[in-house]
Amino acid sequence: MHRWKKLGKVFDPTAHPDLPWLREFAQGPATLVFDDFVRVYFSCRPAPDANGAYVSNSAWVDLDRRDPRKILRVANSPVLARGGFGEFDEFGIYPVSPIRKGDEIWLYYGGWTRCESVPFNVAIGLATSRDGGTTFAKYGRGPILSYSLHEPFVLSGPKIRRFNNLFYLFYIAGTEWLREAGRPEPIYKIRMAVSENGVVWRKHGHNLIPEKLGTEEAQASPDVLFSNGKYHMFFCYRHGKNYRNAERGYRIGYAHSKDLVVWTRDDARAGLIPSQEGWDAEMVSYPHLLQVDGRTYLFYLGDSVGRWGFGVAELQGELA
Amino acid sequence: MKWRKLGLVFDLAKNRLPEGCIGFAQSPQPVVFDEFVRVYFSTRVLDPTNGKFISEVAFADFEPDFSKVILVSDRPVIARGKLGCFDEHGIFPMNVVKHGSELWGYTCGWSRRVSVSVETGIGLAVSTDGGVGFERLGNGPVLTSSPREPFLVGDGFVLQEGGSYHMWYIFGTCWRSHEEGDVPERTYKIGHAVSGDGIDWRKTSEGSATLPDAIGEAESQALPCVIKIDDLYHMFFCYRHSYDFRTNPARGYRIGHASSKDLKNWNRDDEAIPLEVSGGSWDSDMMCYPGICESRGQTYLLYNGNEFGRHGFGAAVLER
Repeated sequence: MHRWKKLGKVFDPTAHPDLPWLREFAQGPATLVFDDFVRVYFSCRPAPDANGAYVSNSAWVDLDRRDPRKILRVANSPVLARGGFGEFDEFGIYPVSPIRKGDEIWLYYGGWTRCESVPFNVAIGLATSRDGGTTFAKYGRGPILSYSLHEPFVLSGPKIRRFNNLFYLFYIAGTEWLREAGRPEPIYKIRMAVSENGVVWRKHGHNLIPEKLGTEEAQASPDVLFSNGKYHMFFCYRHGKNYRNAERGYRIGYAHSKDLVVWTRDDARAGLIPSQEGWDAEMVSYPHLLQVDGRTYLFYLGDSVGRWGFGVAELQGELA
Repeated sequence: MKWRKLGLVFDLAKNRLPEGCIGFAQSPQPVVFDEFVRVYFSTRVLDPTNGKFISEVAFADFEPDFSKVILVSDRPVIARGKLGCFDEHGIFPMNVVKHGSELWGYTCGWSRRVSVSVETGIGLAVSTDGGVGFERLGNGPVLTSSPREPFLVGDGFVLQEGGSYHMWYIFGTCWRSHEEGDVPERTYKIGHAVSGDGIDWRKTSEGSATLPDAIGEAESQALPCVIKIDDLYHMFFCYRHSYDFRTNPARGYRIGHASSKDLKNWNRDDEAIPLEVSGGSWDSDMMCYPGICESRGQTYLLYNGNEFGRHGFGAAVLER
């Protein structure tokens, strides 16, 4: 089992009353390492509209590279504007995943639109930065990875990684909307696409991670690192219905692979579970892995899927 | 090209639609068989949850010269799309092509949005019973939005030529409110894609319109179809202004034409197909949604008239 030392909550979105676009939620933490600091991109929400509907923005917070509990500065505006009428990202940019490409920083993101019969749909967009990741311009008005025959809706949660001189995008694809009292709930599974240039993608086309809770298990936030001769994936999963509670809510899972295609799921080795009390006692979710200066960190969300912020844990030992 | 109008060959005052359909026979799509011509079209039912329309695909079989309706299907040829899928709220149109012993139907699926009325994508369904019933190849689309074609990919028309498949389709360029507070209206143009197998498609000039505009940038072009006559390819389509087009005959749909020797370079010459508008008749205010076929040595153009095909569709025969 991986042993994690929890360092506590790092960022509290409700502590910034001067930033109206950042009122609640700090979701989907994703890091980029700079000389003196680690930038953590995250997604947040302003106050909901009169119907209680939220939009999502994405921004960043810079942490001390030697001590990721220490906040150096917070973005003063979102990194990307939401899309125009009818565009896939009209109602949200969430979550994001950055990677360096030459002098630029490329950001893959989930773009959210609102639908009539189901609450939303998501496709994956790309934006690029030439000012070191402070602001981004969209690659296009449409998505870079969208719906296809066997990935019909909700392509979200992109995590971009580079292995063996190729770009790998780990993401989720919806399989079914469950009709629940109230509103329909989506089920999604972890998928992968591969690209030589980061623009043209080839979908792998199959679920990567075997289900543990049956076909109604929803899987999310697949993040992968290579260490000690194999690939390690941390992700999160939940029940399909009635999951907004401690029993059926998100937990962090783990899988390993030699080739990125065949994965062995072994959640018992994930090692990060909810605390007895405090900000992450109800759930732990949306893991993101960072290796820097010989240390391995796992950023993650606590209760209410990050409504009150994200925290970090440090691995004791190595990914093995 | 000189056309002789045959009038409203499928008149909903004289023909019964499948049970539950409340009118409309839109976008006639002919498939020529030995003894008859089958014309697929989109008709409408009411969505009981909100009174909005849902398009269903049915067909009518005609004598080879369109002199008589032989039969009308008694039920839709394809089931409703699933919750949250791109075609959940109807299929309009469906282009059917022969594919060995099967018939392949390229669907334009509709799903409703919140800020704009609708989004579309192109799906694929296969018939192994001669075209009476079609099964989807998957719940998602085979062609959809991409960075430079942000929304409203639809109206696929497929032609197999020279060992590969060509598709002409439409993509949206903008959603715009004509006046502040108006419902956003869409503009779309014709694009082109190629495929080796009819399933995996590559857009050949993503975001670039195949044809020039005739009535300015806000011209919407729809329903491209292509036929080879002698040594020249002919494309028929319809075009209109992007607002005030529903009830103002001067701004509504007309049928356009372009020709090409190589399927790449097109010469638009709408005036080459004088389909004169006859006052007071079924197609006096509008002509739209063309379909084209050759039957027993004659070339037939099928199309809708006033009110986007509420009363049926008509035909014209090419006079050589």
